[in-house]
Amino acid sequence: MILRYTFQRLLMLIPVSFSISVVIFMIVYLLPGDPIDNLLRVGSSPEDRAELVAQYGLDRNLVVQYFVWIGNMFQGEFGQAIVLRRPVADLVAQNLPYSLTLGGLAFLFSSTVGMALGTISAIVRHPLLDRFMRGFILLGSTVPGFWLALLLILFFSVNLGWFPVSGAGGWKSLVLPVLTIGFGGVALVARVTRVALLDAQREDFVTLLHAKGLSSRTILFRHLMPHALLPVVTILALRIGWILGGAVTVEFVFGRPGLGSLLIRALGQRDYPVVQACLLMLALAVMLGTLIGDVAQASMDPRIREKKS
Amino acid sequence: MRYSTKTQLLSGSAIVAAGLLFSTAAMAQNVSIAFSASELGATAYNPVAASTLNTATSLIYDRLVEQDADQSYHPHLATSWEETPDGMAWTFSLLEGVTFHDDTPFNAAAVQSWIASYAGTENEYLVEAIGSVDVIDDLTVRFNMDRPEPNLLYNLASAFMGIPSPTAFAELGDNFGVTAAVGTGPYELQSFEIGFETVLVRNEDYTWGSDLSENTGPGHIETFTFREIPDQSTAFLELRTGGIDLLLGVPTDFLAILEAEANIQIIQMPGVGISYMPINVTAPPFDNILVRQATGMAIDQEGIVAAIYNGVGAPAHNFLISSLPEADVDPDLNVTYNPARAGELLDEAGWVMGDDGVRVMGDERLSVSLYTANTTELTRLTQVVQAQLGEIGMEAIITVFDSSTIRDEYRNNAHQLAVRSYDWNNSDILDWFFSGNRLGYPNVSMWEDEEGQRLNDVAMTESSTSAERIANFTAYHEYVLSQHLFVPIYQPTQNIAFNATAISVPDPVRGSRFRGQSFMDIQVVE
Amino acid sequence: MKVSTMAIRSLDAFARMSIGRAFASGIGMVAGGFLILLVLVAIFAPWIAPFDYAAQNLMNANAPPGWPHLLGTDEFGRDVLSRVIFGARTSLSVSATAIAISMAAGMTLGAAAGYFGGFFERAVMTVVDLTWSFPDILIALIFVAIIGPGLTSTTFAIAIAYLAQFTRLTRAQIVRLKRETFIEATINLGAKPSHILLKHLMPNAIAPVIVVGMLAIGDGIVLEATLGFFGLGAQPPTPSWGAMMSSGTAQLFLSPWVIIFPGVAVAITVIAVNLFGDELIRALDIRDRLRGA
Repeated sequence: MILRYTFQRLLMLIPVSFSISVVIFMIVYLLPGDPIDNLLRVGSSPEDRAELVAQYGLDRNLVVQYFVWIGNMFQGEFGQAIVLRRPVADLVAQNLPYSLTLGGLAFLFSSTVGMALGTISAIVRHPLLDRFMRGFILLGSTVPGFWLALLLILFFSVNLGWFPVSGAGGWKSLVLPVLTIGFGGVALVARVTRVALLDAQREDFVTLLHAKGLSSRTILFRHLMPHALLPVVTILALRIGWILGGAVTVEFVFGRPGLGSLLIRALGQRDYPVVQACLLMLALAVMLGTLIGDVAQASMDPRIREKKS
Repeated sequence: MRYSTKTQLLSGSAIVAAGLLFSTAAMAQNVSIAFSASELGATAYNPVAASTLNTATSLIYDRLVEQDADQSYHPHLATSWEETPDGMAWTFSLLEGVTFHDDTPFNAAAVQSWIASYAGTENEYLVEAIGSVDVIDDLTVRFNMDRPEPNLLYNLASAFMGIPSPTAFAELGDNFGVTAAVGTGPYELQSFEIGFETVLVRNEDYTWGSDLSENTGPGHIETFTFREIPDQSTAFLELRTGGIDLLLGVPTDFLAILEAEANIQIIQMPGVGISYMPINVTAPPFDNILVRQATGMAIDQEGIVAAIYNGVGAPAHNFLISSLPEADVDPDLNVTYNPARAGELLDEAGWVMGDDGVRVMGDERLSVSLYTANTTELTRLTQVVQAQLGEIGMEAIITVFDSSTIRDEYRNNAHQLAVRSYDWNNSDILDWFFSGNRLGYPNVSMWEDEEGQRLNDVAMTESSTSAERIANFTAYHEYVLSQHLFVPIYQPTQNIAFNATAISVPDPVRGSRFRGQSFMDIQVVE
Repeated sequence: MKVSTMAIRSLDAFARMSIGRAFASGIGMVAGGFLILLVLVAIFAPWIAPFDYAAQNLMNANAPPGWPHLLGTDEFGRDVLSRVIFGARTSLSVSATAIAISMAAGMTLGAAAGYFGGFFERAVMTVVDLTWSFPDILIALIFVAIIGPGLTSTTFAIAIAYLAQFTRLTRAQIVRLKRETFIEATINLGAKPSHILLKHLMPNAIAPVIVVGMLAIGDGIVLEATLGFFGLGAQPPTPSWGAMMSSGTAQLFLSPWVIIFPGVAVAITVIAVNLFGDELIRALDIRDRLRGA
């Protein structure tokens, strides 16, 4: 059942990826300015320009350009960065590990800390703790990421000198960025965990387990946690795009390399191939996240499988 | 990374060098450095083809000659040189025993092919006067000139005339300076993450430092990590918190704070450029020279230096840094603050003061666009300029662009006023920014003028001696000033700060900039 | 749910009944009161601000909070309090305008998609799902890159970033309502589609959309601040909360108040918007309808 659903979802990705690729391809042609102008020697003739345009294949029909481009993408051939003058694949390879480390750690941080907080607040149902949790969740989902980052720098780097102000040298430089991105995630996961645990506790089987004389701890970790895990995975998977979005600002504030900062720089320089590659990578990540989220949700709730199939 | 591996690592000298290394420097010696804002974003370590180069370039490549702070020239890879009395030929004797990082020899043939490689590049003007290069013997070359070029030594000392290995240059093509960079310099390129970090590692074979450094052998420091920190104030915080050891461009407003820090020392050097506001002469209302002249009189250079730069640096009243002889123009042509006169000129041009403090001509308001690039120092200066233009009744609307996008705007002739800066300590910068051949960018003023072009050609190509060149460029400079194409604002100083508990830096710094020769003498403090 | 009463409930009544009820709770009153105050401050900024927000006084730059500059001065000696007050104007108007545009467009698209179904619906929803899964900041950044920095482009960028949300929500409402018996009856009676959509479907679909719009104004403020921080929003000297923080780390050391106060303004405003929005949801009892989207 779930396999069939997964397969169907995969099939659905084909038209979606096609439209995404077209949109990404087109976006770049809507950008004003021209990377060729950045490349041209000062005072060069229109002929020089035409030659460069031809060299980068920008003189061909748009449809042809699209198919050439998408064909290359399939072969992992991202083309040559126009302004940065090197294979786009190299740039992506250089930046991707930074993004993956940061994103992965933020993901891990928000899921573990969030679930722990959520579980605590589900067990200890104290009004004061409840209020604190509500406040924390509200704060986590409203504070602008860049502002939080600046405050963390002010406190931990400038005043205490614990962590570096910027850069990507060693684990210490990861702490503040991970905290910044993870903060919103922690709040979200805590809320989801709490709701899921409270819902599960009301189920009949829990009463049954209690009646069988199992300890509360066993019930919590053996039987309730798996229930809570799924919605958490779902929400986090659906939020991959959001984590990546957070990474753009965080990479900027902390001066870290990564797909986000590469994209921002390439947008500024109108470096088409780099913008396209970055957007495509991000879109892929988002689609993958949505897929995982949907499948997780479907495995939890059979109604979804039926409705969509 | 083909060119960074040393094939002769086991040769005798290398073993001796390695032995020395272990005895003198037990600890890992890495010094990290942040570039100044003006040198961010270099895309390649290719002196021949790149239009921007950063300081690290001067450690990878050596030059034939070096220029000291007093403008005198010192031998480096050229031990001596001779110019014929008519200026039509230069003969250079080359240093013996110099090798590139790929172990190919540096010799006359290398110089010959290097000069030839400038053909068709943006930097071609540097060698334009050289007709041909003759190899006299292995260590002697002669440049046969098409015309006398009094500026030749200046060109040869510039970062754009660092000498790359001809073998690697030919082999790597467009990738030269990107995937690998091979010169004869004291440091070799280990890694280059564009826009982020460049790591240089010591060239153990290096024994040919110029006399501008105390140390002419291998550098004291094992590796230099150059970081590109986009925000200068972040870089400042990094220095203060020990994240970096050396900061190449300290924003002037931080100088006072850094001076109070016990562990931080500051070196101030004379500046090599100015901040200014080009005026697009093709965009109304600036097609009227009276409006342009009035705009110049609105800017209070002395006030800006005092208030936003705490008195550090100097006001700029014309286009060249004041240490250049060509900056010494007829004082009447210098641009100075005179708001009263500015008001009269605008009245004369038909722009009368409106009710809301903005001048009007009929229904039209004197509202103009003011562009700037997104670096901290420029946006700051621009906002002050905006306020000062407001004082004479000119409303300036600021738009902040990415530093690379802004060139598109100039090329599209979409601009009116802009605040920008340049770094160049030679009067040929006038040609770069005002030649009619480069409209849009770099000729942001969009100025095309027959008399201007004539004076430009005379200055660039018809000077046979230094004195003649100075006279010609002064005349060109004066003509440019008389046309009110820009408003000079500020001559910054070069501010370098370092963590004195981590490293020691030569004092005084020799050379016109803090570059290769100074890095040779940097030492780790035990 | 009594369908007939739902159908006649106009926007007017919606405002009177539900907003009144949202104010009734303690939190709702505090949050709502704050928001009203903020809007008043934004409107009357020129009379409230103690100083000209653009007046520079370089001799008094980076002055710490005190008298007469209650929140200190920035790097040009401009009064931070006055800039925060005028910044409320920029931030609120940009965000509210953007969300209004986004709501109008999203409701049109969503209603059409939900009502007509078929290929049109699939085409719209594919595009919508696509933008929905992208982080809003990326969509906004790309859009600003296309039309250039400034307040207008920021407004449209924010509108586009949230378009998907409103389209999805409206469509879900319309699809749900179409199944209601009274609509089926109207359709069977041969009413024109435009008549059914405007007279019967939209009034019923509007409440949840308005609540989500209210909450989205909070997100819009954060997004506006982020774009401003990147230097893409309000151009100097126009103050906006985000742009005030764009000098970034420079100010952290010299004058942290320039960073802290606008950030606090953003945070408090967004929290108030969220709390009030939550109370609205509770008052309208539409939590389930929001989940369905």
